[in-house]
Amino acid sequence: MQPQKQSHNHLLHKTISRFLTLCALLGTALNARAAETVEQHAPIVLKTCVEYAYNYTYGHYGNLDFIAAIPLNRYCDMGVGVQASTANIYSAMANVCPKFPVRVGEFFVDTRFIYRAVVRSTTHDLSAMVSLGYRMDYISLQFGALARMMDDMNREWQSEDKIMVEPVNLLYAIEVFVRPQSSRWNLSFRMANFNDFRTERMWQPMFMINTHCLVADHWRMLAGVELKPTGMFHLDASFYEAMARVGFAYEF
Amino acid sequence: MKKLFISILLPFVLLACSPNLDMLGMFYGQSPRNDERFEASMLYNEEHGYPVIVFDRDEYRVSFASDFHVDTSTNNLQRWIDLTLMDTLCPVGIMLGDLVNAQGNFPRAAAPFPSKEEEEANHTRFFLTPGNHDLYFGQWNEWLGCFFTSVYYFEVHTPHAKDLYICLDSSDGTLGVKQMNWLKSLLSQKSEEGFRHTVVYTHTHMFMQDGRQGHTSNFPMEETYELTALLEQYGVDWYVSGHAHCQSVTSYKGVKYFITNSMQDPAGQPAYLYATVAEQLQYEYIELPK
Repeated sequence: MQPQKQSHNHLLHKTISRFLTLCALLGTALNARAAETVEQHAPIVLKTCVEYAYNYTYGHYGNLDFIAAIPLNRYCDMGVGVQASTANIYSAMANVCPKFPVRVGEFFVDTRFIYRAVVRSTTHDLSAMVSLGYRMDYISLQFGALARMMDDMNREWQSEDKIMVEPVNLLYAIEVFVRPQSSRWNLSFRMANFNDFRTERMWQPMFMINTHCLVADHWRMLAGVELKPTGMFHLDASFYEAMARVGFAYEF
Repeated sequence: MKKLFISILLPFVLLACSPNLDMLGMFYGQSPRNDERFEASMLYNEEHGYPVIVFDRDEYRVSFASDFHVDTSTNNLQRWIDLTLMDTLCPVGIMLGDLVNAQGNFPRAAAPFPSKEEEEANHTRFFLTPGNHDLYFGQWNEWLGCFFTSVYYFEVHTPHAKDLYICLDSSDGTLGVKQMNWLKSLLSQKSEEGFRHTVVYTHTHMFMQDGRQGHTSNFPMEETYELTALLEQYGVDWYVSGHAHCQSVTSYKGVKYFITNSMQDPAGQPAYLYATVAEQLQYEYIELPK
């Protein structure tokens, strides 16, 4: 039993520098796109949130999120975002979401990638998701598939270790709103096995309550709480994590 | 709307009436939570110490079996115990959880295990870890009454080597704060003692790699990252689990992850994992003879 020597500092610096480069590229792209779409009166939404969380594994920790929702045209949205966590985890996500309006509500296809650099555990985690959804004023439903790859950051390529692939998991999100979605404020209850920066296996739902309110021209306050139990359905279910989130969004 | 509501609710009500299905436990377990169970286990461990098994050869065998789900019969359990006792090179039998299926079965399921005197006479000891079914219906006290502890370690000493076996209680789908801290400090402390092999065993499997494993829950992702990194960091050789009722061996971050079959009466293909422990660890899955 020899503890492996790992150059955590080197790994951390490398990850942070990649993270900052990604932020800079993202900022530049958004700036250009914002200038373009403001002229077309299409709303780009920039969101930032701080999160406080507690779970059995990391104890108390916090996250800082930046997300941009960018409408490409009337029939397609995209989103990109980054998150840094005091638990030493750095995440990035990107999604493209074609929309198909129908007489009541709209169908959409959510294609989403989430990458997490779990530096504290020297683990890369990449999730790829595709789901079909339908949303109307008071309800949004989404079902699809999720695939995950995990790998060691210090992987020795000649070893017999595998890249851990979990090819098929059910992806779902069910969200109920108390007011129509175009309202000045709204409150929603959501059960899903993913959020903006995390995915879970199908038996590990996260329960969320989200609210938002337009507080001034262009400015929207955001808040939410999230509860993640563990072992539901096929283990002796128990509490695992709670999270609170506040932030604001700027709508161009 | 009323009809829709009733037709959605009715199956749940009917399922809840089944004495074998702990509907409440699936959403919030009725047994004490993991930290409380850990404390009860540590109380027992402090009083009775951690077992050391002395075996007179450097090569020996360990038999791992899982998911007996004892309801009305104990045929497979009895046969596995007899086979383990008969093998003179096998000083250890490990049961990986879900010994019982539902409530009221502990007396029947515990009966085939040999008494302490019989274990000593046969030079074989059995170790168990609880599964979710063992804790459904708030059965923790029954588990404790029969098997005394759910988190512990034991050592096997041979003439020229010693091996470490660590049992974790993962029947909640999380180790909880206290058990995780205990595991970290135990691995750190034991890493200085020059063990030949380290094996961690518990009920819950770590990954969900294919459809066969899809019907059972795992740890949350955060705990998966943390545990796999911890096992790698301290050079753990094997992580052996049950729960998914299938056979699987995979290697990740230098650790071999095993899932063993269900040994339930009657199961399609009851099989157990037979490990040969020497300088190298070797394994084979053995189908229970008919």
